[in-house]
Amino acid sequence: MRIGVQTKNVIDDRQPEKGFTLLKEAGFSCGDFSLNSYLVNKAIYQSEINTFFDKSVSELEDFFSPHKYGAEKAGITINQMHMPYPNYVPGGSEELNDYLRNVVATKSVRLCAFFGCPYLVVHGFKLARFLGSEEREWERTESFLDFLAPMAKELGVTICIENLYDSVGGHMVEGPCCDAGKAAERIDRINERHHASVLGFCFDTGHANLMGIDFESFLITLGDRIKVLHIHDNDGVMDLHQLPFTFTKTRENRPSTDWDGFVKGLRQIHFDGVLSFETAPVLTTFPEEMKAEVLSFIARIGKYFEDQIKVSL
Amino acid sequence: MNILATPEGIIDTDRPKQGIIDTSTAGFENILLDFSQFCPEGEVENFGKRQKKAGQSNRPLITETPSKLCEIMEPVLSQYKKSGLRTPAAYAPYLRRDTKRADLTPLLYRLTQESLRVCGQAGCGTIIVRPLFSGIDRKEQWKENREYYLSLLPLARENNVRILLENQCQDVNGHLVRGICSDPHEAASWVDWLNAEAGEQRFGFCVDVGICNICGQNMREFVRKLGGRVKAIILRDGDGQKETSLLPFTCTAGNGQPRTDWLGLIRGLREIHFDGQLILDFGDTAAAFSPLLRPWLMRLAKATADYFKWQIGIEDTLKKYSSIVLFGAGNMCRNYMKCYGEKYPPLFTCDNDSRIWGTNFCGLEVKPPDSLKTLPEDCAIFICNIYYREIERQLRDMGIKNNIEFFNDEYMPSFYFDRLERR
Repeated sequence: MRIGVQTKNVIDDRQPEKGFTLLKEAGFSCGDFSLNSYLVNKAIYQSEINTFFDKSVSELEDFFSPHKYGAEKAGITINQMHMPYPNYVPGGSEELNDYLRNVVATKSVRLCAFFGCPYLVVHGFKLARFLGSEEREWERTESFLDFLAPMAKELGVTICIENLYDSVGGHMVEGPCCDAGKAAERIDRINERHHASVLGFCFDTGHANLMGIDFESFLITLGDRIKVLHIHDNDGVMDLHQLPFTFTKTRENRPSTDWDGFVKGLRQIHFDGVLSFETAPVLTTFPEEMKAEVLSFIARIGKYFEDQIKVSL
Repeated sequence: MNILATPEGIIDTDRPKQGIIDTSTAGFENILLDFSQFCPEGEVENFGKRQKKAGQSNRPLITETPSKLCEIMEPVLSQYKKSGLRTPAAYAPYLRRDTKRADLTPLLYRLTQESLRVCGQAGCGTIIVRPLFSGIDRKEQWKENREYYLSLLPLARENNVRILLENQCQDVNGHLVRGICSDPHEAASWVDWLNAEAGEQRFGFCVDVGICNICGQNMREFVRKLGGRVKAIILRDGDGQKETSLLPFTCTAGNGQPRTDWLGLIRGLREIHFDGQLILDFGDTAAAFSPLLRPWLMRLAKATADYFKWQIGIEDTLKKYSSIVLFGAGNMCRNYMKCYGEKYPPLFTCDNDSRIWGTNFCGLEVKPPDSLKTLPEDCAIFICNIYYREIERQLRDMGIKNNIEFFNDEYMPSFYFDRLERR
């Protein structure tokens, strides 16, 4: 089992190797490459698309070559990558949605392959309110995944869907891919259709915590379809992406997130992937001067999880 | 569909008359027989410890003498009867969600048995019985609950009562997360299995909307997966974090938007053609209001419950008429045509904006309001504009005698991605 973390707030495009070295020194062996930082979700929702993905694939590869080789040199494996999201904006122009699908998504798959990264995390479409049901919402996501699948198969990339939240008046509620049973069935069906492991699952602990999802049973239901993780914590109210064990709700000061269920679930499915933290906001919460220590602490938490997961194997 | 009020925060068990007057005067015809009012969770939690007697009258504790439940409840039950309030559904005593006590199952069993007997005497055909959870290992949950529910079967039969399981949350160090029966697949299989074992439809399910909300669940999906097993809904609002019983639509995030997924709930209940007990639980709201204001609050509560019933059965209103016309040629009319236009096609629509008279909107001819004067008698006018009462007044002042109904597009089966710009 290896330990990883987001590259956001660590890797500087001007000197990527320096950031990867910092990760290595902190105790990580893997990175979750934050491709979504190059076209952020807020801008997409506001139809304010920058020109980053207008570059040709070879230009993008040139841009990311220092990152790729910097990671290799530092001994960091890019295990997973996050595609920019959303991939569809309800009410957005046809031009915008075509761009997100045909340009951003396809170039993301190619960049994932360029990094030699096996897993690319994508967000399912959030359309249930408009279309009336989760099933019709999924049809749109599935069509998008089917569009990407042949390229992913050819390039050896597994796309991972992630449990997401939606908002009802600021209250975080279930979004796409929160039904483990349905997700398992859909992953199997799509992989069978494409005769390859083109689709997997990314379990996001913070999102699950917002919706009070039972970690253990969710993980067990998905089993070996869980390919990657987004480990982070919150107060059960907002998607804060903070350190595990940070939040408590009672004076007994016990954690209000079910980390015990997380460990038990991963243990039962014999998870042997990367314990990857999606905790970039922690690095802006703490003073810049403490970045190295904070990263080391995150890695230490990862090591703790690893030990706990292995404990009774 | 029966609308029921819950008595918590409204009816004082020691002196019930005023609360009963408020309830029935507001138009409620049914009330939940809430056994936890007589045997609250705190009393159950402290069973076996020294406790004060209950209520102002120092009546004996039910937990110490479960067989006295009927006798102790009798004054309230007779007042319900006298005022014409029916009790079609009941709620059995339960444990605190954060209880650490694992020794209370025998007590709960006794209390539920007595509750079933009282239901039988009161002619109450449905009781909500929470699943057992305390001290039970995850792997043993079904086994323990199966035994528990089946052990209640003979008394349920004898008293002609249907037992409803209910979705639960659990306390993880102060964070309420999904608990037993919060997975609708699992809940449905429990109900089916119990019914198969009983050889009859003796078990069903009650969806507690407040718990679904705390657990951030997709309510449409939840309700749909349970389908016809849903015999009751507990309708209550909350902030999605703490367990509270607020009047629907009263909990907002400060942006005027509700924090509860009413859209998903209404969509789901429509799809399963829900026709069971709609239990309005607003005990915390009621308790917070002055007794002087409570009669008005109760009327608002009744109107709110009626609104849910109307929204759930929105097609029932459309079905009533052999022909209809719409008033309004904007987004609401567009939404009507998207979701109901094919099934219930209007003859035309009309609008006060003379610039669009004679044009076509979503397949309908737009006519001036005057055209409504020549409608056939049995044709109803559906106002598709949020200025309902203003337009209704306009039409009545024009001398129009046809039935006028209000259409509402807040909880449509689906929506367009965009909205039309205001003219």
